[in-house]
Amino acid sequence: MLFAPRYLHPYLGIKMQNKKHNVVWQALFVLTLIIIGFAVYSASQKIDYTWQWNRILPYIIDSSPAETFAENDGQVTINENGTITVDFDNGDPALLIKKADHLFVSDGAFIFAGDKISSVNQKSMGVLLEGLLMTIKLSVISLFFAIIIGLIAALMRISQNPLSRNFSFLYIEIIRGTPLLVQIFIVYFFLGTIFDLDRFTAGITALSVFTGAYIAEIIRSGIQSIPPGQMEAARSLGMNYPTAMTYVILPQAFKRTLPPMAGQLINLIKDSSLVSVISITDLTKAGREVVAGSFATFEVWFTVAALYLVLTSTLSFAIQRIEKRLSNSD
Amino acid sequence: MTRADYKGEEMVIANSVDKIYANNCHALKKVSVTVKRGEVVVIIGPSGSGKSTFLRTLNQLETVTEGEVIIDGIKMYDPSTNINTLRENVGMVFQSFNLFPHLSVKKNVMLAPLKVLKLSKAQVEEEAIKLLTRVGLGEKINVFPSQLSGGQQQRVAIARALAMKPDLMLFDEPTSALDPEMVGEVLEVMKSLAEEGMTMVVVTHEMGFANEVADRVLFMEDGQLLVDDVPDKFFKNPSHPRLKKFLSSIL
Ligand SMILES: Nc1ncnc2c1ncn2[C@@H]1O[C@H](COP(=O)(O)OP(=O)(O)OP(=O)(O)O)[C@@H](O)[C@H]1O
Ligand SMILES: [Mg+2]
Repeated sequence: MLFAPRYLHPYLGIKMQNKKHNVVWQALFVLTLIIIGFAVYSASQKIDYTWQWNRILPYIIDSSPAETFAENDGQVTINENGTITVDFDNGDPALLIKKADHLFVSDGAFIFAGDKISSVNQKSMGVLLEGLLMTIKLSVISLFFAIIIGLIAALMRISQNPLSRNFSFLYIEIIRGTPLLVQIFIVYFFLGTIFDLDRFTAGITALSVFTGAYIAEIIRSGIQSIPPGQMEAARSLGMNYPTAMTYVILPQAFKRTLPPMAGQLINLIKDSSLVSVISITDLTKAGREVVAGSFATFEVWFTVAALYLVLTSTLSFAIQRIEKRLSNSD
Repeated sequence: MTRADYKGEEMVIANSVDKIYANNCHALKKVSVTVKRGEVVVIIGPSGSGKSTFLRTLNQLETVTEGEVIIDGIKMYDPSTNINTLRENVGMVFQSFNLFPHLSVKKNVMLAPLKVLKLSKAQVEEEAIKLLTRVGLGEKINVFPSQLSGGQQQRVAIARALAMKPDLMLFDEPTSALDPEMVGEVLEVMKSLAEEGMTMVVVTHEMGFANEVADRVLFMEDGQLLVDDVPDKFFKNPSHPRLKKFLSSIL
C-alpha cells in the first residue's frame, strides 16, 4: 500500500473486506496527482517561460575545468613524462604542472602574464550543494545546542525554586512571543556587535535559542506526563533527584516527546532558511544567487524545495526508526 | 549517629505526628507509633483515614507538619540527616507497583544498587537474580514489566526494594490492585519476609494476613490512631466502638 495508515482503529470500521476499497482509493490518489501534475505543466506552457532544467546542473555539480594561468612572463617546457615546467623571466621559482587534461600552449612557447596554460577536468560542489551543506551544518549544530538549552530550561521550569522557574518562564515567553526573523537581527546586530560574533555564530545562536524554547516546552510536558509514582518509587529507593531524573524520568519522557520533537526539528531545518538575511549562504541564499546568475527562476526554487524535502523526510524517517526501536518495552 | 552505630530496639518512632496538606486537609492528628525491630505492624482503617499518608511520612515522601520521626535511630528532621541515606534503609512497595517500564525486570532490581550504592555490576546482577528467583521470577529476568501479570509485577517491586538491603519495609495496599487469584502469591512473599525477621509496616485490607502474620494491628480513622493491639484481641475483642463498627461493616 502506498500510504498505509500507521494505526488502524478498530472503531473506524476498517476491516479486511475493505481492502479492495482501499486499493481503489489509493489508485484515485495517484490519478489525482497525475492530473494535478499535468495541470501545472500545461499552465506553465501557457505562460511565456522556457524550462531549462539543464541550467540547474552546473549549480549542483560544478564540472567546469580547473584552469592554470601564468603569473608572469616566461617560457614553457613540456617534459617527457607529460608534466609541464614554466620558467619565469623575473627569476621566480619555476612552476611545475603535474597533470593537464587540456594544453593551451606548445613546447618552448613564450607566454605572458595572465595567459592560460592548461586545465584539468574536475567535478566540484555547485553553489546549491554548498548551500545545502551549510543548511545541514547550521541545523545539526543548532539542534545540538537547542536540545541542551531546552533540557536545562525544562528542568528549571519544573523546579521548586521560584528563581529558576521564573527565569525559564520568561525565556520561553519572550522567545515564543517574538518572530525568529527579529531575533536573528537582534542577535546579529546587537549581541553580535557587543560580543563580536561572526555571522555563522550569530545564526547558530539565534536558531538554538529560538528552538530551545519550543523544545523546553516539549520536554516539560513529556516529564509531566510521567506518573508521579515513578519519581516516588525512584526516590524511595534512595536515589537523589538528579539520579532519578536521569535514569527513570527522562528516558521515559524522551520516548514520549519523540513525535513532537520530530516536528520541531523539521521546523528547525526550515527556519534555518531565515538566517540568509544575515548573509549566510545557506540553501535559500544559494537559491537566490543562482536565480540571479541563471535566470532559471522556477527550476531553481523547485530544486531548492526538493532539497529541503530530502533533508526533512530523512530526519522524520530516522526518528520513526528510533520510535519503533524504543517501543519494545510497551 | 549512623545506622551502624544504632543497636536500639526501636526501628520506627513516630512521635505525635501531624500532617496538614496544602489544601488544609488535616490528614494526621497526633499519631504516635513505635515499631520494634523485627515486628510486623498492620494498619487498617476506612478510606481517607490517613493510612497512606502516615506510611509515606516514614520515608518522607510526605513531610510532617508537626512531630518527630526517628527511623533506625536516625532523626529524620535533624539538619545533619541525609534523607537519601535514610531512604536507602527503608524499602517501599506501592499499590500500583510503579515499576520502571523502560527497564527489564532485572534492570529494575539492579538500578538503585548500581547508581546509589555504586556496587559493581557483577555483584549487583548476581544479587538481583538471587532475589528474583526468591520471589519466583527467576525465569522472567529479561522481560519488560508490561509483559508480566499484576502479581508478578508486585513481586518484582518487592525484589527491587529488597535489593537495597533495607532494615524496614513499608507496604501500601500491595494487593489492592490485583486480581483475586494473584493476591495469594504476593502475600506469600510478604509472609516469608516476615518469617525471616524483616521489620514491616503494612497497610492492607487483607484481614487474614493481619490476623496470621501481624504482631500488632493499628486502626486509624479520620487521621487519628484509635487502636493499637495484638491481632487476637484486635479482631475478637475490639476495644473501640469505631473499630467494632468498622469490622462489622467489612466482615
Ligand atoms: N497529596 C494530597 N494533597 C491533599 N490532600 C491529600 C493528599 N493526599 C491525601 N490527601 C487527603 O488526606 C486524607 C488521607 O488520605 P490517605 O490517602 O492517607 O488515606 P488512606 O487511608 O490511605 O485512604 P485509602 O484507603 O483510600 O488509600 C484524605 O482526606 C485525602 O483526601
Ligand atoms: Mg491509601
